[in-house]
Amino acid sequence: MENLISIFVNSVFVGNILLAYFLGMCSYLSVSQNLKTSAGLGLAVIFVLAITTPVNWIIYHWLLAPGALAWAGLPDMDLSYLKLILFIAVIAGIVQIVEMVIDRYSQALYNSLGVFLPLITVNCAILGASLFMVERRYSFSQAVVYGVGSGAGWALAIISMATIMQKLRYADVPKGLQGFGIRMIVTGLMAMAFMLFSGITL
Amino acid sequence: MNEQLKTIVFAFVLCLVCSLLLTAAATGLKKRQVQNVLVDRHRNILMAVGLIGDNQHPAARSIEELYRAKIKELWVDSAGAIVPPDRRGPADLPLYVYYEGKSIEAYVVPIDTRGLWGQINGYLAIDKDGSTIRGFTVYHHSETPGLGGEIERSWFRKKFVGKKITDQQGRFVSIAIAKGSVEQVVPEAHRINYVDGISGATMTGRFLTSGFKDILRNYEPVAVRFRQALMKKKESREGGPDDRSVEEK
Amino acid sequence: MTGAWKKSETYRAIRAALYDSNPISKQILGICSSLAVTVKLSTAIVMSLALTFVVAFSNLVISSMRNQIPRNIRIIVEVAVIATLVIMADEFLKAFLYDVSKQLSVFVGLIITNCIVMGRAETFAMSNPPGKSFVDGLANGIGYGSILCAVAFFRELLGSGKLLGFQVIPDSFYAAGYQNMGLMLLAPGAFIMIGLFTWLENTLLGD
Repeated sequence: MENLISIFVNSVFVGNILLAYFLGMCSYLSVSQNLKTSAGLGLAVIFVLAITTPVNWIIYHWLLAPGALAWAGLPDMDLSYLKLILFIAVIAGIVQIVEMVIDRYSQALYNSLGVFLPLITVNCAILGASLFMVERRYSFSQAVVYGVGSGAGWALAIISMATIMQKLRYADVPKGLQGFGIRMIVTGLMAMAFMLFSGITL
Repeated sequence: MNEQLKTIVFAFVLCLVCSLLLTAAATGLKKRQVQNVLVDRHRNILMAVGLIGDNQHPAARSIEELYRAKIKELWVDSAGAIVPPDRRGPADLPLYVYYEGKSIEAYVVPIDTRGLWGQINGYLAIDKDGSTIRGFTVYHHSETPGLGGEIERSWFRKKFVGKKITDQQGRFVSIAIAKGSVEQVVPEAHRINYVDGISGATMTGRFLTSGFKDILRNYEPVAVRFRQALMKKKESREGGPDDRSVEEK
Repeated sequence: MTGAWKKSETYRAIRAALYDSNPISKQILGICSSLAVTVKLSTAIVMSLALTFVVAFSNLVISSMRNQIPRNIRIIVEVAVIATLVIMADEFLKAFLYDVSKQLSVFVGLIITNCIVMGRAETFAMSNPPGKSFVDGLANGIGYGSILCAVAFFRELLGSGKLLGFQVIPDSFYAAGYQNMGLMLLAPGAFIMIGLFTWLENTLLGD
C-alpha cells in the first residue's frame, strides 16, 4: 500500500511524465494557451491513461511477455517484440471505443471531452506510460496507480502552464523569446519546481 | 463492394508483410541480443571485482575470455554450502566466485531489488574476508535520470569500495546508504557501514538499503564461511560449470 | 553548386527541412520523446540516426504505395509501416549497439508517436513520388537530429564537462574552482536549452 502511494505521488510530481520524461509535449504545447481546453485535455488524458495502462498490462503479461503464453501450451513463446505495435493499436482502439461510448451515453461529457480524444491517440505520454510500465516491471495494481498518477501529473502540468500563460500576457517578454521560447523556459522552471518534491518522503 | 474488398485485401497483405518482417528480424537477431545481455552481465561482474576499470571498454570476446578464466558460477543452499548443479533446488542462491590462479579472491552477489521506479539489478563484490566490499555495479534501473539514476555512475559506486558489511565486532549489519553525507549524519563507529547518499534521491537510497539488507542476510551463511576461512580451494580441473572447485573443509 | 541544382525540387525540399522550417523550433513537432536522450551526445546521435532511418524509409514505403493505399485506412496503414520500421530499428540496436540501446530504453519505441514521422508521411509522402519522399525524410531526420545533437552537445559539455564520454574541460579549470552545471543533467536543463536556442534563432534570423 505504501508502495502504491509512493508510486502515485512520484508519478504526479518528481517523475512527472511531461516535466521529467518529456512525453506528451506536442499536445501540451499546442493546447496550453487556454485554461478551459487545457483542463479538458488533462481530464481526457487521465481518463485514457487509467484505461489503457491496465489493459496493456493484461495484454503484455498474458500474451506477449516471455512465457506468457504458457496457458495456451506455448511456454517458450516470446512475443515481446510485438509490444510496441500492439500497444499503439490498443490505444487507438480504446480511444475510439471510449469516444463512441461517451457519445452514446453522456452528451455533456462528450461535448467537453470528445474533441480531445482523437488528439490523444498520438500523445506520446499514453504510449510512454505503457512502455514504462513494462520497463519498470509493475504489478497490475501498480500499473493502475501509475496510469492514473501519470495522467494526473500531465493534467497538473498542462493546467499550471495554461494559468501561467494567462498571467504572462501582461509580462514584457523580450521579442525573440516570445511565444515558443518563453513557454519552454517556463516549462523548465516548472520542471525545477516539481523536482523539489523529491525531498518528500512517505 | 470492389472497393471494400480491395481495402480488406490491402490490409491483410500489409499485416502479413509487416509481421513476416518483424518475426524475421526478431528471431534472426535473438541470438545476438541474448549474447549481448550475457556479455553485459559478465562485464558488470568483472567490473564489480575490479578486473575491468570504469573507463575501460574491452571487446566482447576479451570479456568472455576473462570471465571464463577468472569467474566461476556456483549455487549455494540456505546454509551456505555449495550445491552441485544436478541437485540444485529452487531456493538455492547463485554465487560468482573470483579466482586469481587457484585461490579465491572475492565473491559476487547478484543484487535484484525494488527501486523507487522499478527493479534495480547489479552486482556486489565482497572480498574473501567475507566483509569488505570490493565493488558495486548496476546494470539495470529505472530511477530518475540525474537523481536516483546516479546510482549507476562511477562516482557513487566507488564509494562502496572498502566499506564493510560487518561492524567492528565482526557481526553482520549490511551496508546502507546514508541520507546525505556520511560524515555529517552517521556516528563515527558506524561510518564503515554507510555510503554517502545522493541528494534528491532519498527514496532510491532507502529502497537500495533495504534491498542490500535482505539480500545480504540471505547470503550471510556464505559470508560466515568466508569469514571463518572455511571456503577452500580444491584442485581444479580447468573448465566446466559442473566443476566442483570450491568445497567445505 | 550549380544554378540548376539550386532550383531543383530536391534542393528546395532539403532547404525547407533543414532551414526554413526546422522541426523543433518552427514546427514544434517531434519535440516529444527526443529530449530525454539529450543528456549525452552519443545517445542523441544514435537516436537521430534511428529517427532518420525510420522517417526516410517510412516516407519511401508509404510514397511507393500511395496510389494503392485505400483512403479510409490510410492512417492505420501509416502507423503499421512506421511501427514495423521502429521495431526493426529497435531490434537492430539491441543486437549491435547494446550499450546505447540500454540507455535509450523506451525512447526508441516512442519514435512511433513522434509527430515528425507521422507528419511527413501524411503531408509529404502521400502526395509525392518515392525518390523525393525519401530525400524529404532524410532531410527532416537530419534537421531534427541537428537540433537534438546541439542540445545534447551543450548539456553534456556544461553538465558533465565531457563530449562523447571524453573529458574536454581540463582539470586545471576544476582546480581553479570551475564546477559542472548539475542543472543541465536534469530535465529542466533541456527545456531551458531549447528556449534559449529559439531565442538565439529568432534574434539572429529575425521574423
